[in-house]
Amino acid sequence: MIDWSAFLIVALVSWVAALCIVTAYSFGVRLLAVARDEGSNTSASKLGAYLCFGVCGVIVLFGVVLIVPQLSRAILGA
Amino acid sequence: MDLTLIVVLVIALALFFDFTNGFHDTANAMATPIATGAITPKKAVALAAILNLVGAFLSTEVAKTISGGIINEDPTTGVQIMPEMIFAGLMGAVVWNVFTWLLGLPSSSSHALFGGLVGAAIVGAGFGAIDYGVLLSKVLLPALCAPLIAGVSAYMCTKLAYSITKRQNGASPKRGGFRYGQIFSSSLVALAHGTNDAQKTMGVITLTLVASGLQTAGTGPHLWVVATCAIAIALGTYTGGWRIIRTMGSGLTDVKPAQGFAAEVSTASAILTSSHLGFALSTTQVASGSVIGSGLGRKGAEVRWGTAGRIALGWLFTLPAAAIIGGLAAWLTHTGAVGVGIVAVLGVGMLLLFWYLSRKNHVGHEDTLSDIDNSGAAVNILSKKERRARAKAEAKAARKAAQEAMDKEPDNS
Repeated sequence: MIDWSAFLIVALVSWVAALCIVTAYSFGVRLLAVARDEGSNTSASKLGAYLCFGVCGVIVLFGVVLIVPQLSRAILGA
Repeated sequence: MDLTLIVVLVIALALFFDFTNGFHDTANAMATPIATGAITPKKAVALAAILNLVGAFLSTEVAKTISGGIINEDPTTGVQIMPEMIFAGLMGAVVWNVFTWLLGLPSSSSHALFGGLVGAAIVGAGFGAIDYGVLLSKVLLPALCAPLIAGVSAYMCTKLAYSITKRQNGASPKRGGFRYGQIFSSSLVALAHGTNDAQKTMGVITLTLVASGLQTAGTGPHLWVVATCAIAIALGTYTGGWRIIRTMGSGLTDVKPAQGFAAEVSTASAILTSSHLGFALSTTQVASGSVIGSGLGRKGAEVRWGTAGRIALGWLFTLPAAAIIGGLAAWLTHTGAVGVGIVAVLGVGMLLLFWYLSRKNHVGHEDTLSDIDNSGAAVNILSKKERRARAKAEAKAARKAAQEAMDKEPDNS
């Protein structure tokens, strides 16, 4: 009656997803802060930061695909 | 009993329920970005309203049962759901929603709806009408799991965000960048809310139309139903339940940008995974759990457990309280058209009373900023060094005072 495995899966997946986004965004923020330091390799840090934000953007887009039924049917086929 | 009159009343009440659902749940998405100043209050509710409107039009799969299986709605073996019963149940849900708004408590609108319907069904068909197993697995268990999952997630994310952005050499970590992220994460929550919650009202209206023979069973909702539901929930969201936003944004804990971002990402991911892996969690309970978890995760943030306790108490009461109101309303509607009229008048009277009480203690969008940010804007926040020096001085003074008191003691005795 009570589906404990579903509960566990929801917990694990949501934790992993949230941690991934936060990790990527935090590194982005940190790299931007590093880029403002004196004597650092500014362009490399900035590039890294934008890459991190890009990863976040992709994950968020995936979230939008999940929310919108038409998109998830078209892209994920389910 | 004129069937069309009651149908019109049910539709009107369902749309009003949708409206209350909107302003009750603005806080879930927008409380933390408003509190950290990531987005101004007016813009936040406008953004949430637009996303709710869009979300409502996107959702196509309308609920097949009104109560989500809690009430045995099987056409042959179960209770026959009459429009009067839905009317009574909706009344219970609406009154409870507005009451919790008056208290500034975030409570689940779906639980209020289930509660009202359960009460009406028990009065109409006895205790056998309820499937208690479904009640346990769909309402009670998720109510415990939702804050737990989201809270742990937000706690870990906050810790992680602060440790990654921490600079060893004492340079400024520039965590303000998290504000931009907050806008995206909260928008995701608002969109998910629009696709889920407007759909419930569409389901209620469609099933009422089917039950009264105005629509063929098995067909989708009419366009006007979709449009009115979308507009009702968006209007509700735009009105902004400032009381609840204040509770969520600054009542539970003071939220800072990195922490708010962690909380919203946790909320969004918990809602998305739960709705796609088949263990539906209440948005309100997930969002509250995230805020508390993020407060536990940030050093120096305190969680006001008194407020958290009041919210938990509100969750505990939501289903039974809405059930009692719904049951009373159902009992009155049994007397026929007069009873329906009495319920309608009493309900509107209660809502007007709540509204009148709310005017006495007005809470507007200007009250929703976190105290930390407010005071930060008004006065100069002391740097870490200054704070430490001040704490040291205070401790010294306290020690001195204690010493003096000790010295004095022998004189008194």
